[in-house]
Amino acid sequence: MNSTLVSRNVLLCAAAIFIASCGTATFTKSGSDATIESLRSFQLAFIDEFAVPGKKFNAAAFNAKVNEGNARFQQAIANDKFTARRPVFVDLKAVFDADAAHIKSKASRGKVTPALASEMKKNVNKTYDHALGR
Amino acid sequence: MPSGDKKKHKKPSRKKSELDSALDQVGDESAAAAMKEFQDLLGEAKGDTSELVWQNAEELERYLVLLKNREIDKEDFDYFVESQKRDLRVFIDAQPAQAQERAEKLTLHVLEIAATKVVPILIAMI
Repeated sequence: MNSTLVSRNVLLCAAAIFIASCGTATFTKSGSDATIESLRSFQLAFIDEFAVPGKKFNAAAFNAKVNEGNARFQQAIANDKFTARRPVFVDLKAVFDADAAHIKSKASRGKVTPALASEMKKNVNKTYDHALGR
Repeated sequence: MPSGDKKKHKKPSRKKSELDSALDQVGDESAAAAMKEFQDLLGEAKGDTSELVWQNAEELERYLVLLKNREIDKEDFDYFVESQKRDLRVFIDAQPAQAQERAEKLTLHVLEIAATKVVPILIAMI
């Protein structure tokens, strides 16, 4: 009788721990999703600010924004609790680095076109959708 | 902020695309054969059931049309193709071994033909 009671309590405890860990994982993933959405918004705004046809390239403003982006991505990589997502953040940072380098190269020579900016934003949205598993 | 513009896959139209019309004008015989190979592969990729494969084909076609219309230049085209290759490499490596060859043919190989054979001809036509 006693051993049955103990077994039942052990099972209940195990079930409670499992349910709690599922809840934590869901909470952690939704926090991670929010971080990804925030990075997406940042990267789209970055393109809107610097990939503008005819706009004079402001190197100081550009470098400051790139530094801000680097800090945001590093923070996301370091702080994300959903560890399975860490490589995804590293990939997203690589996309940001590549976009920034291409925008710098084109904008500093006044060679940005509306199609370039529009296609870059489509690419960013596609990459972030993939990162979120959509 | 989700992009919200995820497209549904439409069956590729039999109507000639803007790109097809441009590539059909290639007169030189060996170049015309390469263009035919490219158009066939692109058509096959656009009709593929894998989202990443048909999306890649549609994006490539769009980049080629933008290049032909001078809305982007070759640097931009190369940049977009390199971005696509990075995405695709992960996708191909994740496929079962027997599916990898076909996936590679319909993605990386199509991009390669576009960059090495189609783009120089399109640029010469501009």
